[in-house]
Amino acid sequence: MHELSLHVLDLVENSTGAGAEQVTVTVEEDAGRDELRIRIEDNGRGMDAEMVARVTDPFVTTRTTRKVGLGLPLMDMTTRLCDGHLRISSAVGRGTTVDAVWRLSHLDRPPLGNMAATLKTILVMNPELHFRSRHTVGERSFLLDSEEIHLALGDLPLTQPAVLEWLDGYLKDNLSILYGGKQA
Amino acid sequence: MTLREMAAALELTIVSDTAALDQPLAGGYVSDLLSHVMGQAKAGQVWVTMQGHQNIVAVASLVGLGAVIVTSGVEPEEQTVNKAIEQEVALCMTKLPTYEVAGRLYQLDTAGK
Repeated sequence: MHELSLHVLDLVENSTGAGAEQVTVTVEEDAGRDELRIRIEDNGRGMDAEMVARVTDPFVTTRTTRKVGLGLPLMDMTTRLCDGHLRISSAVGRGTTVDAVWRLSHLDRPPLGNMAATLKTILVMNPELHFRSRHTVGERSFLLDSEEIHLALGDLPLTQPAVLEWLDGYLKDNLSILYGGKQA
Repeated sequence: MTLREMAAALELTIVSDTAALDQPLAGGYVSDLLSHVMGQAKAGQVWVTMQGHQNIVAVASLVGLGAVIVTSGVEPEEQTVNKAIEQEVALCMTKLPTYEVAGRLYQLDTAGK
């Protein structure tokens, strides 16, 4: 996984796999503190302390039939290579929060990747999920809330071509504003 | 030539000594991208990398690599060494840079052929 957005997709999949009805993704590009922070919070079934301690262990995932993937171990590795860290807090019945931090300017930090495509995939693949995201670059933020989108769309499903096209443009425009693009 | 003889010839420090080192030297693979190693390295090969995270042991074990050489003076993390011993993955380290290890390894590997 050479792009961090793929980790986001992977982790949201873990969350829904753990029965989460709500997932919140926070991406903060903080040049002031020279940090890139990604947080994924869910209200899924959570894990006990023993499992939390083991999820960054690649052998947990490769030897058992649990489909967790090499996702978290690889994320753990890239954060540490880039002066950061990965922290997981979780409790059974209370959901899981994954916090990942990289030094923003670190030469080896993988690029964030295509966040518009990632957000679109999450929304389209999980129509029942209450998904929220906040992406902050310096002073600018882009807030996304699946409930607002579904409210605005009424009965229109996200999978309809015209709706998909609108969603694509909406996400791309708002994300480009974060990086100094023109206000729509 | 066995992997153990290869390790001696390159003056590697063996941090996880397993029976895998008694296999014959059968080529190598060089990359620091784990996904490439998983997709392209072949069983029995020696993997030369400067990653020290325990994920290297997982990849070596999945591919069935002969040994892993961590180069450039990178110290494999404690968890990595423990996992290598536990999973019987041969793990060596050296101060030599990857370029030099790869060059010497290639010479050893092709000399007898």
